[in-house]
Amino acid sequence: MLRFILRRLLVMIPTLIAVSMLIFIVINLPPGDYLSNQIAELRATGQEAGLAKAEFLRREYALDRPLPEQYLVWIGVWPGPNGFNGLLQGDLGWSFEFNKPVAEVVGETLWFTVILNLAAVLFVYLVSFPLGALAAIRANSWVDYLAATVGYIGLATPNFLLALILLYYGQKWLGLPIGGLLDAEYENQPMSWGKIGSVLEHLIVPTIVIGLSGTAAMVRRLRANLLDELGKPYVVTAKAKGVPPLRRLTRYPLRMALNPFVSDIGSLLPSLVSGSVLISVVLSLPTIGPALLGALRAQDIFLSGFILMFISLLVLVGMLISDIALALLDPRIRLGKGRKAQS
Amino acid sequence: MPEEPLIVDPTAKGRDLGRSGGWIRSFITQRRNSRIAVLYGYARLVGYNEKRELVPDILKDVTVVDGRDFTLSLRAGHRWSDGAPFTSDDIRYWWEDIANNPMLSPSGPPRFMLVDGKPPQVSFPDAVTARFRWEEPNPYFLPALAAARPPFIYRPAHYLKRFHARYTGEAELAPLIAKYKVRNWAALHNARDDMFRMENPDEPTLQPWMAMSKGTGSHLLFQRNPYYHRFDTRGMQLPYADGLDVTVMAAGLIPAQVATGKADLQAEGLTFSQVPVLVAGEAAGNYRTLLWPEGKAAEIALYPNLNYNDPVWRGLLRDARFRRALSMGIDRRIVNRSLFFGLARESGVDVLPGSPLYKPERTGVWTGYDPKRAAALLDEIGLKRKRGEAYRDLPDGRPLEVIVESSGEKPEVADALQIIAETWRDIGVRLLVRTVDRDVLRNRVYAGQTMMAVWGGWDNGVPDPDSSPEELAPMTQENFSWPKWGQYYQTSGSAGEPIDMPIPQELMDFARRWRHTTDETERRALWSAMLDIHADQIFAIGVVSKTPQPIAVANRLRNVPDKGLWLWDPGAYLGIYRPDEFYFADARPADPEPAGLHRRED
Repeated sequence: MLRFILRRLLVMIPTLIAVSMLIFIVINLPPGDYLSNQIAELRATGQEAGLAKAEFLRREYALDRPLPEQYLVWIGVWPGPNGFNGLLQGDLGWSFEFNKPVAEVVGETLWFTVILNLAAVLFVYLVSFPLGALAAIRANSWVDYLAATVGYIGLATPNFLLALILLYYGQKWLGLPIGGLLDAEYENQPMSWGKIGSVLEHLIVPTIVIGLSGTAAMVRRLRANLLDELGKPYVVTAKAKGVPPLRRLTRYPLRMALNPFVSDIGSLLPSLVSGSVLISVVLSLPTIGPALLGALRAQDIFLSGFILMFISLLVLVGMLISDIALALLDPRIRLGKGRKAQS
Repeated sequence: MPEEPLIVDPTAKGRDLGRSGGWIRSFITQRRNSRIAVLYGYARLVGYNEKRELVPDILKDVTVVDGRDFTLSLRAGHRWSDGAPFTSDDIRYWWEDIANNPMLSPSGPPRFMLVDGKPPQVSFPDAVTARFRWEEPNPYFLPALAAARPPFIYRPAHYLKRFHARYTGEAELAPLIAKYKVRNWAALHNARDDMFRMENPDEPTLQPWMAMSKGTGSHLLFQRNPYYHRFDTRGMQLPYADGLDVTVMAAGLIPAQVATGKADLQAEGLTFSQVPVLVAGEAAGNYRTLLWPEGKAAEIALYPNLNYNDPVWRGLLRDARFRRALSMGIDRRIVNRSLFFGLARESGVDVLPGSPLYKPERTGVWTGYDPKRAAALLDEIGLKRKRGEAYRDLPDGRPLEVIVESSGEKPEVADALQIIAETWRDIGVRLLVRTVDRDVLRNRVYAGQTMMAVWGGWDNGVPDPDSSPEELAPMTQENFSWPKWGQYYQTSGSAGEPIDMPIPQELMDFARRWRHTTDETERRALWSAMLDIHADQIFAIGVVSKTPQPIAVANRLRNVPDKGLWLWDPGAYLGIYRPDEFYFADARPADPEPAGLHRRED
């Protein structure tokens, strides 16, 4: 097991290098760079006054050099105008869009992003587990159809539309706030129950919106897996032996049906950071999503590059975790090139 | 209070003497737009008044000799917002230590400070006088100082010196460089010096409102500057409002916020298509919606690219008959009625009726809807229609498909292009739209890859003879009619292409003559000639101008003019209408501060 983990960790290094190159190439595909575009914009809108600063930054961040050199400077294996300071030295670069270091931009948005997506994931699990299990046990009953209807509505309505509808009526009937993270009066205040309450209030709509479509998919998958499992001979045997219904369900079938959920953990980790982009943009939530979108559109390469690198790292780590968890959960899965399964 | 404050009389403009207090709530769509305080504040060395005449503002006086020798006089006893004296040394600091410092200004002093590439002679006779002398007239100097985004040729030297290597030793700079996570002193100086966006609340300002503790990045607060130089006739110091309370909000949510009464003064993020929502919310939100006409020479204009790479197309786009035919093939009335309720003006790209250079006979030249004449012109050029075909062909047999590239930012532009495509089909021209991001669009136009772009008309629709006619001549790459010629001029011939058409060359000569004269009559004549050429040649095909921009104003907020012009430069949008004179009817002195107002003790 340890050897397996070590080997996987070593493979991550070349993977990350390849990913970093790809990311750098892709974000530099559109013509121009942030600053040359900004200079053009300033000239076109009669803001010559802002030019000196933009030109300064171009030189400072080596954007006036050829792309391969820019890449090496960004990674930190080539000296920039101020010596070696790239990702390897822990300097994440500068966000031109936010006008502060990338580390600060990511730091500010990260915690809220994680809270929001964690809330959405909890919502998904809390709603879809009971619903999915019920839908499987009472297959083709009204419960099943109700769960299916709710799920399909969640899947079928575009997220942003749902968000806007909920916002409008939430504000109208329940007085829920529109957009943002908390009420103005709690800004710069120490943590308090009131502040937490305010954040929670702002979380209601986004959580429901982000959660609904995930819930729908989850309910269907759980129902299908559980139905497969419930028809198996050992369940029939258990029934014949008089095992009470609840235990008959939880003892094995539910555990087996959980397999896909565990393999989902791999994608769960990166989605905690990069999920819900569209909703955050629509609802004006200060998460990483809008920052990444804005950075990509404006070619704010250090910010978008770092966020993408960070997400890639999380994907790799998440895959590793879900592989390990699966191995622990399901004896049929073996790690590495162990003994061939006897046919 | 300076010994020589600027006394303003709101009643002369038909306004009230206001009351002090209250915070103006407003939304911006991006954090970057924190410049709102400098636009609303509109304190400039010299600024425009509502008639768009240049008058001293921060300066007590400006003396100009022959258009090339400028003496700026400061107000005695004027202070920065932190109480430190504001003197000519602050101007000297900008000129010597910023504009001429190779670290901070890699390309040397800004363009408006150079005449034929030569900088001025600068001298500072005393603490309240600065003198700039060029060898030739510099018509760009004062307008630059009054611009919506001014160059800030004065900086708080007493504050910034501590970040400048010339005044502060390495040992003292090092901890600061580490603290602000920058790489050298120049980056530190740049980060701490941000007069336009006011990102640094520690940097003193001369604006009526100054940034305070940073809030949270999505909520910005600007409070009154206790040393502001304007007072009303009763001796009450402006600004009337205690501060600006600005929140960053996605553009799509702003109308909803306004409709629920969350904004006192709001234009950013509002477009004409949202007017029904805004008007419906007026009663509940307790505000009114003003409609100000756009001040650009056209809101929607098509730019045939005379530097397009394809030689056959380029020849066609350079044929004035073709451009006139396209222009006459547009039914501007339908565009106006269906998209702007008939409130816009149907015209080509031309100065607006409010400008002293306006001539009614220019309107309607080649801009009336006349498909018959348009078709006749296209026949004359030799663009034949095959039997039974809807569209014409180029002389070399390719179909006549005009590809218009759009930045796709405004829904009304997309709708207008749809309508134009309908009427162009009647004259046998196919219009195809391609949407690309604004930066990409610009780069493509500059490189000659775009056949035709849709954009706004000249930025200043109400010029006077002293305004620069640069936008009308091939002097700037930013004019999408002739990007490569403009680039050739701007780079002194090291990039782009030289002008190879007689009429644009003529425009160029006129613009050059305008720069070297200071005679009002001659300038007016040159402007007039250039405008006539544009009306006749249709270098850009204007569709509508003076489209309405909605502005939501709380009923409590007074002194906001009902009628104005929505114009970036000269004007700074609301700036020249002096928001420092807006006041709340129910203001009480010592009104409670807005929520979230907690100075962080750093």
